[in-house]
Amino acid sequence: MDINALKGKIEQEISSVKNIEDLEKVRTLLLGRKGILSEYIDRIKTLDKEERKIFGREINLLKQWTEEKLREFKQFYEDEEKNRRELVTWIDISMPGKTPVTGKKHPITQTLEEIIKIFSTLGFSVAEGPDIESDYYNFEALNIPHDHPARDMQDTFYIKKGVVLRTHTSPVQIRVMESQLPPVKIIAPGAVYRCDSDVSHTPMFHQVEGLMVDRHVRFSDLKGILSIFIQEMFGSNTPLRFRPSYFPFTEPSAEVDIGCVICGGRGCRVCKDTGWLEILGSGMVHPQVFRIVGYDPEEVTGFAFGMGVERVAMIKFGIDDIRQFYYNDIRFLSQF
Amino acid sequence: MRIPFEWLKDFVVIDIEPQELAKRLTMRGLEVESLEEYAPSFRNVVAGEIVSIDRHSKADNLSICTIDNGSSILPVVCGAKNISKGDKVPFAMIDARLADGAVIEKKELRGVTSFGMLCSERELGLSDDHSGIFILEDNAKLGEPLEHILGVSDVVFDISVPPNRGDCLSVYGIAREVGSILDQKIRILPFLLEAEETGNIADLISLDVFDLAACPRYVLKMIQGITIKKSPYWIRSRISKCGMRPINSIVDVTNYVMLEFGQPLHAFDYDRLRGNRIEVKLTHAPTVFRTLDGEDRMLALNDLLICDGVGPVAIAGIMGGENSEITEDTKNVALESAFFNPYFIRRTVRGLGIRSEASLRFEKGIDIDNVDFAGERAILLMHKLSGGKVVKGYREVYDKKELNRIFVSFGKINEILGTAIEQRDIVGALRSVDLHVMKEEESGFLVSIPPFRYDINEYIDIIEEIARIHGYEHIPATTPVTAVKTLKRDKKENQAGIAKDYFKSAGFNELINFAFFSVKDIENFFITSPDERASCVNIMNPISKDYEVMRTFIAAGVLKNIAYNLNRGAKSLRFFESGKVFYLNTEGLPVEYPAVCFAMTGREREYFWRDKYPEYDFFDIKGVLEGLVNCFGLDIHIEKSMEPFLNPNKSGDVFVNNEKAGWIGEIKAEVLKFYEIEQKVYCAELRFDVIWKMSRLNVQYTPIPKYPQVTRDFTFLIADKTPVSHIIEKIKGVSPLIIDVGVFDMFKKEVRSVSFRVVFQSFEDTLKDETVNALQDIIIKEVTNIDGVMLRG
Ligand SMILES: [Zn+2]
Repeated sequence: MDINALKGKIEQEISSVKNIEDLEKVRTLLLGRKGILSEYIDRIKTLDKEERKIFGREINLLKQWTEEKLREFKQFYEDEEKNRRELVTWIDISMPGKTPVTGKKHPITQTLEEIIKIFSTLGFSVAEGPDIESDYYNFEALNIPHDHPARDMQDTFYIKKGVVLRTHTSPVQIRVMESQLPPVKIIAPGAVYRCDSDVSHTPMFHQVEGLMVDRHVRFSDLKGILSIFIQEMFGSNTPLRFRPSYFPFTEPSAEVDIGCVICGGRGCRVCKDTGWLEILGSGMVHPQVFRIVGYDPEEVTGFAFGMGVERVAMIKFGIDDIRQFYYNDIRFLSQF
Repeated sequence: MRIPFEWLKDFVVIDIEPQELAKRLTMRGLEVESLEEYAPSFRNVVAGEIVSIDRHSKADNLSICTIDNGSSILPVVCGAKNISKGDKVPFAMIDARLADGAVIEKKELRGVTSFGMLCSERELGLSDDHSGIFILEDNAKLGEPLEHILGVSDVVFDISVPPNRGDCLSVYGIAREVGSILDQKIRILPFLLEAEETGNIADLISLDVFDLAACPRYVLKMIQGITIKKSPYWIRSRISKCGMRPINSIVDVTNYVMLEFGQPLHAFDYDRLRGNRIEVKLTHAPTVFRTLDGEDRMLALNDLLICDGVGPVAIAGIMGGENSEITEDTKNVALESAFFNPYFIRRTVRGLGIRSEASLRFEKGIDIDNVDFAGERAILLMHKLSGGKVVKGYREVYDKKELNRIFVSFGKINEILGTAIEQRDIVGALRSVDLHVMKEEESGFLVSIPPFRYDINEYIDIIEEIARIHGYEHIPATTPVTAVKTLKRDKKENQAGIAKDYFKSAGFNELINFAFFSVKDIENFFITSPDERASCVNIMNPISKDYEVMRTFIAAGVLKNIAYNLNRGAKSLRFFESGKVFYLNTEGLPVEYPAVCFAMTGREREYFWRDKYPEYDFFDIKGVLEGLVNCFGLDIHIEKSMEPFLNPNKSGDVFVNNEKAGWIGEIKAEVLKFYEIEQKVYCAELRFDVIWKMSRLNVQYTPIPKYPQVTRDFTFLIADKTPVSHIIEKIKGVSPLIIDVGVFDMFKKEVRSVSFRVVFQSFEDTLKDETVNALQDIIIKEVTNIDGVMLRG
């Protein structure tokens, strides 16, 4: 028996393998039940004991070697196949992704929604009123006498005698109090109109009015509620101050300022070097207003407040020209 | 109101910095809007006295003055003519710097050494006056720095006085608040000057007031033999700092005392008053009158006039007449100090459209008690400035009224403010602003209201006063003790929110436009009467033609925004706006409705490297509409639209439950041209009230079916005139087991070939093939029964 010849033949067969299919054929040819090695092992059985021992070991070694060799080859072809497949399915993960197309709510809407949300958690519900309003609701019932400067043509848009575009959301106060008995706890958001147009005025803008009426509502409660609002809106470290002011329909009246967000209170152009920014007007409902709507000022007290939504948004977003809100430039709208 | 800090010090000792005082005034409700600092623009200029004046031997137009500066006597060469021996003058010494930056040096002037310079007001930056050397007051101390003598270093407060605080429109009025802040009683005494009096006013002029309601107090005083001059620097500088223009030594005094005490005054040239009399009366007929600014004013009925024996000489409290005004030649002055009823002044001011510093104060109400004092103060100042003799006595009409008294209970104060202010602090606070407590009891007190406090009419005004003086910063912040029932959020507001959320997630940006537009916009959309959108609400005083009426629909504004953005480089846009529209109803009354408009132009995206995007078409906007109404639990149907601004083939009217809610479609190119838009725009506008009325927002859960669905596809050939929606309706009507019908393909050769996918679902058992087959046959039969429909083989 020529082991060397056998080994030569096996090597020759293995070297002829070109791919994984060849490999399987060669495996069958060499190691199969009717393969070359099996044939040799059968022949060993015919040899004598001594020879059988020697050849048996040689053949076994050869068989192990063949198996090892085929395993290596198999690994090689499998790796090659895997690499080929990976090459086909490869993508460049650095290519831009596809962002869903979404829109934005107008910054005024976003600000308004935030204001409403804060007051909702404080138990205020939303009330509304018409934009085209009677002189009575817009002025008279709010204790704004006939010859008050606020009534001059330069401020108010007139539709006809006795009918105006509301100059504030305060008429909603009157409408609500006329239609329900105390207690009252509402906010009234909406558009208001004044004939004015420059960097800090637009002929239409938005306000949120607030009103709370009940027994034992105090000026200190107004301070409390508005402090909570401002800290929710502008952050809990926002400095704020209440200072005396004048509105015909509140007494005592207070203007509320917050520490200037631009300069941090050191003084700058925006806050006119005062370190403070006016944010809202407020006060205790004037007894005269209660008398007008038929509430008894000896029985109930209340507070009211009003703020410009654009003003709040300008401070919040750092916008310096109110007209930006109304150009509706997509490069502006998509920033918020 | 502009208030010089230095002037306030006439009344109060101020031991805090101006900035600190400004803060405290602001916290008192007198907001200091700005502080303007005044600093001398010169250095090292002192008061000197001219000891002697000699001619310069080598120059005719120069003289040599010797100046005593308090420590030495120095020669100065000077060219001015208005100086004389003994005059006190500003002496710019060696190294002094003048307003223009020039530094004074020792100089040889034609052989004479000059040790400095005498200065004009202009050289010192005090005014434009360069007519001669600035002659100082006699009491100027030699060697004293000029800035101290003149009070040049100053801070002027610009105070925003609330409209109900007319009493604060004077230095004195502000000083009263400063006194209260600093816990001081303010002083007035030094203001009454001494003067010799002659004659008797009763012999010179008479006074009649015909309407005491319009003019409850009128005082006349006189001075004779005056010389009109330029006022001294201190008067001019204070008037200028307050924002008024110095004129002459008589007019300046009237303005000075007005600024000082808030009492407007008017000086008449006595010799130009006809008939030696003054009458105060209302106009009974329209009258033309020339005011001192040279304008002819048309007076209406019941305007308040000051007249002499012949006719009007002034519009009371607003402006004097040209016919009696003070001129350079005036010798004798009749001075008016009066109280005019604010109501009459406001009416006339509004009627004539003129305002003056005087009317500003009369409109808000002045201190009726102070009328005679202010007149006295002014006449004595005139005497000091312009010489002459003060006429003895005065003419006066005074309809004196009782002071208003208000009772306030102590309990109420702390109850309303939420404070615990002590009784004696309350009384002290009120007293500090001249609100005197007449009677104090356990339960409360009675306050008498001085006539200058027009803002105090009832107990709540007293409470505000207490809060203001106590300091808002010392009032606690509390939470209301009452439990108020919480109400549901307004349904409308909520529904608008649903729509906004939908549009946002659908890729639409929200717009907010002014609620007005132009009649031109209605024309651009070819909308004509009797369409309600053509009957618009007019604004009587619009800010511009573009905003002359209330909008009757939103789409015009949206098109303007689209054009604006396309012009700035955008190519594709999706916008929505939710807001009000306004019409006149059939009775001609304005009505308002909530509406929503949405529009799209261009394509979904400009590019994405993997995909291609076709331009938007009708079905894109229709899908957005379907999605919107789905949010409200509604279905719509669309019918052919007659809207004049829509492409008739690619548009429709939108119906919800058979009620018209709006329109949808492609905007006509002719309309787009008006807005300078060159690409297609798909748009829809709906009345929100119609949708909200029918919305079904309460979702009811349906159990998920346990049995499998079966789907079958059908393809029909459909003639163009037959709408696919009919076929879908027909299929849906075949059986309740059909839960969905979709269109999954459409192509057209000679006729349209449309493929439908029908979903069958039973909630009771698994559908058998026979059942579905039977339904399939019915579907084919029913659908092919429709005119113009065939089953594709
Ligand atoms: Zn600032």
